[in-house]
Amino acid sequence: MSDAKVTIFTGKKIITMNPAVPVAQAIAVQGDRILGVGTVGDLAQWGDYELDEQFKDHILMPGFVEAHSHVMAGAVWEFPYVGFYDRPDPLGHTWLGCQTIAAVVDRLAECERELKDPDQTLVAWGLDPIFLEGERLVAKHLDQISVTRPIFVFHASGHLATVNSAMMRRSGIDRYTPTPGVAKDFDGEPNGELQEPAAMSLAQDGFSAIGVAMMSSNAKWNYAREARNCGVTTIADLGTTRLTMEGQLEAWREATDDANYPARVVVAVGHFDSNSIVSLAVRLRDEEETPKLRFGIVKLVLDGSIQGFTARISWPHYVNPPPGHPGNGLWLIPPEQLADIVSGYHEAGLTVHCHCNGDEATQVFIDAVELALQRHPRWDHRHTVQHSQMTTAAQYKKMAALGINANIFSNHIFHWGDQHAAVTIGEERAARMDACATAEREGVVFSVHSDAPITPMSQLHTAWSAVNRLTASGRVLGPEERISVAKALEACTLGAAHQLKLDHDIGSLEAGKLADFAVLEEDPFEVSPAELKNIAVWGTVVGGTPHVASSK
Amino acid sequence: MKLSGDLIEVSVIGGYLGAGKTTLVNHILREASERVAVMVNDFGEINIDESLIDSSDENTISLTNGCICCSLVDGFATALESVVSFRPRPTRLVIEASGVADPGTIAAHGHGPGFALDAVIVVADAVRLIEQIADPLVGQTVAGQIRAADVIVLNKIDLCDTLTSVNAELSELNPKALLIYTSEAKADLDLLFGREILRTVSSAGHVGTFESRTHESTQPILRENLEALIKNLPSDIQRVKGIIRLAEAPRIPMVFQLVGRSWDLRALADREKSPEGNRLVVIGPKGSIPIAWDNFLR
Ligand SMILES: [Zn+2]
Repeated sequence: MSDAKVTIFTGKKIITMNPAVPVAQAIAVQGDRILGVGTVGDLAQWGDYELDEQFKDHILMPGFVEAHSHVMAGAVWEFPYVGFYDRPDPLGHTWLGCQTIAAVVDRLAECERELKDPDQTLVAWGLDPIFLEGERLVAKHLDQISVTRPIFVFHASGHLATVNSAMMRRSGIDRYTPTPGVAKDFDGEPNGELQEPAAMSLAQDGFSAIGVAMMSSNAKWNYAREARNCGVTTIADLGTTRLTMEGQLEAWREATDDANYPARVVVAVGHFDSNSIVSLAVRLRDEEETPKLRFGIVKLVLDGSIQGFTARISWPHYVNPPPGHPGNGLWLIPPEQLADIVSGYHEAGLTVHCHCNGDEATQVFIDAVELALQRHPRWDHRHTVQHSQMTTAAQYKKMAALGINANIFSNHIFHWGDQHAAVTIGEERAARMDACATAEREGVVFSVHSDAPITPMSQLHTAWSAVNRLTASGRVLGPEERISVAKALEACTLGAAHQLKLDHDIGSLEAGKLADFAVLEEDPFEVSPAELKNIAVWGTVVGGTPHVASSK
Repeated sequence: MKLSGDLIEVSVIGGYLGAGKTTLVNHILREASERVAVMVNDFGEINIDESLIDSSDENTISLTNGCICCSLVDGFATALESVVSFRPRPTRLVIEASGVADPGTIAAHGHGPGFALDAVIVVADAVRLIEQIADPLVGQTVAGQIRAADVIVLNKIDLCDTLTSVNAELSELNPKALLIYTSEAKADLDLLFGREILRTVSSAGHVGTFESRTHESTQPILRENLEALIKNLPSDIQRVKGIIRLAEAPRIPMVFQLVGRSWDLRALADREKSPEGNRLVVIGPKGSIPIAWDNFLR
């Protein structure tokens, strides 16, 4: 061994997730790696050490791995939150939910007073009108805040925005505006609601604000702070086309090279045009990786969302779609082209993570991977079905045979489970959606994820959702698909590390791996499973460096 | 016809994989008599004819005839901004949609400041259309594209021996669209874009020859006169377009579009740059355009 300094951390209990040595009392760290786990006595065999007892009353676990989230989770906090549920921000402040229109207006009025430049657009996010009783929030409500400053409020769905009269004036939106999606009241005047991107983009400086913020250094820092606050040490920004933009790779490097940056980041390249993306992704993987910045994954998006009725679902499709719905969802890639696209990345040695919410999409992806494997046999590719919300038992069996992983959107059970049972796919299929137990039974390596900012980042919450399957209304949706706490924690650590091809480095605490820990106030194996999501997080250790959560 | 000096007319080209969208785009670029910008969803798919290419960089290809292709990788807003800033400014933007996109959704972007939506053109594969519509995976997508069309370019008719059933299928899905038959996507551009026809043209497989007639006037038009005109239009007139002013809102320039059997009247996003008065071009088979046309609009 080298003679660099050795630190031994002690903990109340160290859960290693290594089945060979599942529990330990101490963990020795040299540089950014684990020298060994065991007792202080065991570890003394490595020579001189410094004892660090700051975690002696805490539970240490492998740092959680969030294999599907977005840097947007950091960018949204450049703007005030006006959603229905309470939500903590990366700096530790909890924004209380706005549960009435008046609360939304009050929140925005407060933020408006803080803006100095009178021309600056006030942008906010997270509005969810279905939860707000009474009339719908429109321009006239926002006009109470300001009639001169443009105001632009994104809805939680991302498909709609509500703006005030000043924003409409600046954007030239009036009763004659021809763009579809500019909502108008009964006498033809626009009411401030802009539906879908073509209409939203008329209010350009509001609509582009979050995208612009995503490029900033602050968004990258807040993304990692959000991770740190919930015990996550590795985050995957799953799918961006922005790496080709000038300065973006450098911006990621600058942030992650900083010793204080509290996370490792895997940036997946979004599929756009196969040829140039293959060479970009290969170059990033081969030439640009650093200890805290990793590449090698290409993200494809095959279908839409279940709650938006745009996921591709096999017969009998949707149970109660809105009037005028064509019956099934949308393809974002032509299904017959998928095999060629996957083959291109597959042959280049890249790992393909494919967004498939509906089971028909999952099937098209499985078939594409099978064809790619016939053309170009390759072991241990770890291509992954992302979201995997309706994947069936037969599909999981086939995925196991082909070596495909799954990343299951377990948080959907809590956030939209009631709607899925009642409106989208019906009781039976809702009971078997996000089927962690089936994936486990069929031998598929899987993880669970938040897709932050779609749902708040927290692997304790996604694990809780997979273990309890409680919906927002409090019912247990599909009890047979519940999994054990141990399996859920494995999914959030080794399972996620495996699909990122990082399980040689992270996901468990054992000699040789990176010293990445989640530092918890309580033992997830000791609290009742229903309390899993409420375990307080002290912070993390990344590469041997402690990072305290900002709420501390 | 050019709607007005600075406005960029937008044509959206949709249609499923293999129908001939790229062939049509190349045909347009080859034949274009105006400065065209093409926006493509995927460079891997576009395959611009090499003989047309002058130079290319990361997201833009310049063509020898002054046309430009740019990529949608950074989204619509960015791409539209760059089209407006090209110098000299293009007069037409052709957006090639992806094979699974709903061209109607894309057309919604064609109303932004500086742009005026012309028409949604959907290319259909005469040989495979019926099979595609019956396909459980893509049937809904293909049918949705056909329904969204103002103009259907039914391509590969030279290879199709079931044209009657294809026609029946199309008229059930979209009885209102203007139907143009082509092989190798060689559609007549005047018909496709609703331009003034200065020479008599004939479109492959289409009956007869076409001509155009332009109406110009200064007084705002009464809405009921316009509606009466449309009602009384001979059924073989399939394209009318232009900018008019209505008596009820004379300061707002309105884009009038009639393609096939459907028509649409929308305010122009760009109020300042549009010309005063009314200007309408009617296109139809030779001899079909009423001489009394102008009287309707008095
Ligand atoms: Zn996502």
